[in-house]
Amino acid sequence: MNNKFAVYAGGIVGIILLTFLLSVIPDSFNFFREEKSAMFVFTLIVIMIMLYEVKLAKSSSEPTFLRTIPGLKAVEEAVGRSTEMGRPILYVPGIMDMNEVETVAGVVVLGHVANMTAQYETELDVPVARAIVMQSARQVTKEAYLTQGRPEMYNEDMVHYITDDQFAYAAAVNGIMQRDEPAACLYMGKFFAESLLFAETGNSIGAIQIAGTGSQTQIPFFVTACDYTLMGEEFFAASAYLSKEPELIAGITAQDIIKVILVGFILLSIVSRAFFDLGVTDFNLITWLGL
Amino acid sequence: MLLKRYIPIAIVAFFGALTLSAWFIDNETIETFANDDATQFFDIIAAFAVFLGALNLLKLQFIKVLKQQSGWIYSAIAIASFFFAFIIGFFIRGAYFVGEDVYFSQKAAEAAILSSGSSEVVVPVDWGAHVQTDGSLFQWMFKYIFSPLSATMFALLAFFVASASFRAFRARNFEASLLLVAGIIIMLGRVPVGSLISSWTIMYILAFSIGIGINIYLKNRNMVFGWILGSCGLITGFGMTMGWPIDQPAIFFLPALQEWIYLVPNLAGSRAILIGIGLGIVATSLRYIFGLEKSYLGE
Repeated sequence: MNNKFAVYAGGIVGIILLTFLLSVIPDSFNFFREEKSAMFVFTLIVIMIMLYEVKLAKSSSEPTFLRTIPGLKAVEEAVGRSTEMGRPILYVPGIMDMNEVETVAGVVVLGHVANMTAQYETELDVPVARAIVMQSARQVTKEAYLTQGRPEMYNEDMVHYITDDQFAYAAAVNGIMQRDEPAACLYMGKFFAESLLFAETGNSIGAIQIAGTGSQTQIPFFVTACDYTLMGEEFFAASAYLSKEPELIAGITAQDIIKVILVGFILLSIVSRAFFDLGVTDFNLITWLGL
Repeated sequence: MLLKRYIPIAIVAFFGALTLSAWFIDNETIETFANDDATQFFDIIAAFAVFLGALNLLKLQFIKVLKQQSGWIYSAIAIASFFFAFIIGFFIRGAYFVGEDVYFSQKAAEAAILSSGSSEVVVPVDWGAHVQTDGSLFQWMFKYIFSPLSATMFALLAFFVASASFRAFRARNFEASLLLVAGIIIMLGRVPVGSLISSWTIMYILAFSIGIGINIYLKNRNMVFGWILGSCGLITGFGMTMGWPIDQPAIFFLPALQEWIYLVPNLAGSRAILIGIGLGIVATSLRYIFGLEKSYLGE
């Protein structure tokens, strides 16, 4: 453990020195944006910690502890409930395209859900709002059914396109909910005002609802109307959590280490700012870093 | 394996790293690629993909109509709407100008000239511009069919917010009660009547609420009586001697209190979530760039 933190400390010093060196190169040869130095240091630190944690995870035989995330535990419960009730599962991967990392995360979680539906022989319905998402989601779903040895259960129309328009899509998905009465509704991706339309309609039909999003403004709506909500980082950790692969779990460990570093940095900034405001010192960390 | 695994991972890694480096490298070519070219590539691919989507939509709706599955009538409407929008978008100009006036068809425009006896000529709108010209058939459809339908869906939110709030504000446990109290303070503090409620009133309400709590947990009538009498006496005494106006002490004045709730605990919580989201996005993106996460390839 001590060795690990020595590596990180050495790495951080090395990154800061590298950034300093890049900044002092004469302007005629220099392509480095000096004003982005703080961000550059942060990005390199994140990369270093992540790669080192992955390396450690690969060489370690001990499983990494992951706290229980109720929303992800509930995914299997939701699939089981749908199987018992003989009703389909509705999966909504947000309303944005594949250039949004939340949509990619939503499609990745869809792969895990499709694994379960293939295993339990449950019907899966994935209405999508973007044609590219449709293609990606089909690929992921197909692979899941093949992996589970149930290719005959896969039907490419289980992932179907509706429309790019936000409220037309909301109307169509609400219609599907009212007609098919799915036992479970999963909303994983990027959402806007339609989030509450989905969640309330799902609530009215008595479906078990699990939402996951990084859209900060929509989290309160999902928390209010859904049974479980994966808030922000929990949603991005979902794939690693469900896959249980050490390499991916190492990414979550790295994320937690970075979070601890960030908390330390925030505390340091508060102290620095307080001393600056009280006139104890002329140095202000935030101003110095240009943040 | 090479086509399905290594090449896609290499493409993601290369373009991911390139886009990330554009943030730190002062080079016009890389910057133009990341900010303009890459997004245009995406738009072009998305434009082609729409055909796949539209075909899939039509296929499923036609099957529903042919098999007369439940709700097939909606599918019929969807198909009709699709072709209506398609035809007026691609094959009908839908806007013929006679001076300032616009007519949907050339015939209608000519009839208008004949009836008015004017010497004006019919000027058809340019192809392409016809979907954005005010008064064209396409714009008519957009303005009088599409927009009201979208607005109707959006308006449903008002009712859903009410039903969701009703469930969320039920005082089932301590957290829900806290939410209820905070909600009431925010709602009252943001409307004009909130500034008419004096800090004194809020303090009396608070004293009575604590009295109710004492009664529930201690079930001691004397203690409750003592608390109510003592606290109300203190509030009145302090208020009269210190000459508190309607908004003093400020901590119990609803507009000030709601602002504090909004700007301090609420902002702190939302910033914590925001940092988590940002960190999650960075970590997830790096997992894709370094090829650690391959689930998006179906693995």
